[in-house]
Amino acid sequence: MLGYTVRRVLTTIPLLLIATFLIFVLVSVSNDPRSRLAACGTCDESAFQRLEELYELDKPIPVRYFGWLSDVVAGDWGVALSINSIPVKDVVLERAKNTAIMAIPAFFLIAGLAVVLGVYSAVRQYSTSDYVITGFSFLGISMPTFFFALLLQAIFVVWWQEWFDLKPFYVSGLHTESFGDLVSSLTLPVVTLTLVVVAGESRFMRASMLEVINSDYIRTAKAKGLSQRTVIFRHALRNSLIPLVTIWALDFAFLMGGSVITETVFAWPGLGVLLVNSIFAQDLDLVMGVTMFIAVIVIVFNLIADLLYGVLDPRIRYD
Amino acid sequence: MTELKGRPDTPLEVEEAPMDEAEGLVIVSRSFGRQTWDRFRRHKLAILAGVVLLIMTISFWAAPALSPYGFEEITPDFNQGPSLEHPFGTDDIGRDLLVRTFKAGQFSLLIALLVAVLTTVLGAVVGAVSGYFGGAIDSFLSQVINLFLVVPSFIVLLVVAVKWGSNPTGIAVLLALLLWTSIARVVRGVVLQYKEQEFVLAARAAGAGSLRILWRHIIPNTFGPIIVNATLLVGVAIILESTLSFLALGVRPPTPTLGNLVDAAKGDIDSDPIRVLIPGGFVVLIALCINFLGDGLRDALDPTTRRVRE
Repeated sequence: MLGYTVRRVLTTIPLLLIATFLIFVLVSVSNDPRSRLAACGTCDESAFQRLEELYELDKPIPVRYFGWLSDVVAGDWGVALSINSIPVKDVVLERAKNTAIMAIPAFFLIAGLAVVLGVYSAVRQYSTSDYVITGFSFLGISMPTFFFALLLQAIFVVWWQEWFDLKPFYVSGLHTESFGDLVSSLTLPVVTLTLVVVAGESRFMRASMLEVINSDYIRTAKAKGLSQRTVIFRHALRNSLIPLVTIWALDFAFLMGGSVITETVFAWPGLGVLLVNSIFAQDLDLVMGVTMFIAVIVIVFNLIADLLYGVLDPRIRYD
Repeated sequence: MTELKGRPDTPLEVEEAPMDEAEGLVIVSRSFGRQTWDRFRRHKLAILAGVVLLIMTISFWAAPALSPYGFEEITPDFNQGPSLEHPFGTDDIGRDLLVRTFKAGQFSLLIALLVAVLTTVLGAVVGAVSGYFGGAIDSFLSQVINLFLVVPSFIVLLVVAVKWGSNPTGIAVLLALLLWTSIARVVRGVVLQYKEQEFVLAARAAGAGSLRILWRHIIPNTFGPIIVNATLLVGVAIILESTLSFLALGVRPPTPTLGNLVDAAKGDIDSDPIRVLIPGGFVVLIALCINFLGDGLRDALDPTTRRVRE
């Protein structure tokens, strides 16, 4: 196991290099900071030159990549021209914190709900409640995030006020004045994320639970006279959670990587909104900083998922 | 003539012979297509989804053709609520929203279909080559596929869409480049499974070359999973396209898509929520129908996967 872990961690390093290089190339060819100046009539030639110098646009992309990489390793992620030239590193970490404020409660809610729904519909396979849960997960899979988020906004901004003359939740922004404000501004985004992610996760949990329930050792447990409760919770549930751990790690990375749509609709000052704004502003260093930050989170969580899987499932042997 | 009860999925179904024919039982074989249809027919929800989808598709083409307004035509009535003249109202510069919504359905559906076709072709070719030839090609292509799995591709998509995603073809190509890996993995798996089987060996002994074996003997076995995947892809594509267009990183007005109609109306959600809910509702309805259809097709075309999935 130790050997595998070391090997797996070491192979992640070239993966990170290749992935960041490819992302660097894609960002560089699709985002040109000069394009905004081209539309500007009053700007002069020197502005172009300053941008070219700042981003070294006259050099080939691989050279720029190594320049960027060595700066980043030294702790310099460049400056965000579109936000008063403050360091990219500061703004990215600040926004990542805001994203985490939303992602962490959402993650626990999703994980808990997925287990409950998955186990319930697996144990009562083909019952009415199984079909209802399945129907909801189909709806969740078919619902674009932006539509569900806007639907919640319509309900709580427009209709709720008309019917009850109440405004129960904030529909935009992050309010931290008091704990109640925080919960109120978190509610709608977290509900949105939950519906979107829990649909897939609960299906996965159901499939995993069914596979375990139909396995021989569960039949053995039943045959020796254990109660249904013991069989389900002590024997089946614990084993069916193993594959779910991988999904949890990946979904957590997805949530931490800035849920672009949810953040956009609810004007949440997180990584996703930062990314979209930086793309529109063609703020090259900032686009690069956010994209790479998210990429590193996702790759690292993939690694964690892989390692956890090996730890939790003793049937898997790595040599 | 009564059918004997038996396993309905078996290729041969035993039927009682009509009286005027020979004594005993006649074995009636059903073609693969017939069996598939028989299995599919049992999925009431999938049939319903197919019918709804068909009606929507027809109306997407019929409504703009029948409407007195063009989808880019500007009328003097702007920002109007629903009326007899304009059942869905008009937008901020006076375009009729009914005709724009249905035209948007046309564009969104066409983009999604194009994505499904491009993705399937690319994924199937890569998967088949990778699985059949193995060796260095396979390990290289598998590494590429793995790279797609670990990189946050939606984030990368956002970054590149600003340059290439603004027209329908461009966004379709981008989405295909993002999505091809799932089909490639499926096809690679099926090819690996079949290439060592006896009928392939027999074909090789009979002198068939690699391409002929791949094309005539192995590829047809991948059709089931490919059709299922391609169907589900249409749903994924329509959601992704509308999401990008919603963020103003996809298809731009005046070309309407369901996503950019929502984007254009989202600022007025507190005064006029219906403008957001109609195009958004169409996306949900299309995606829902496609998911049900895909689910029915999976059971019909690929009965072996049912046990694992359930």
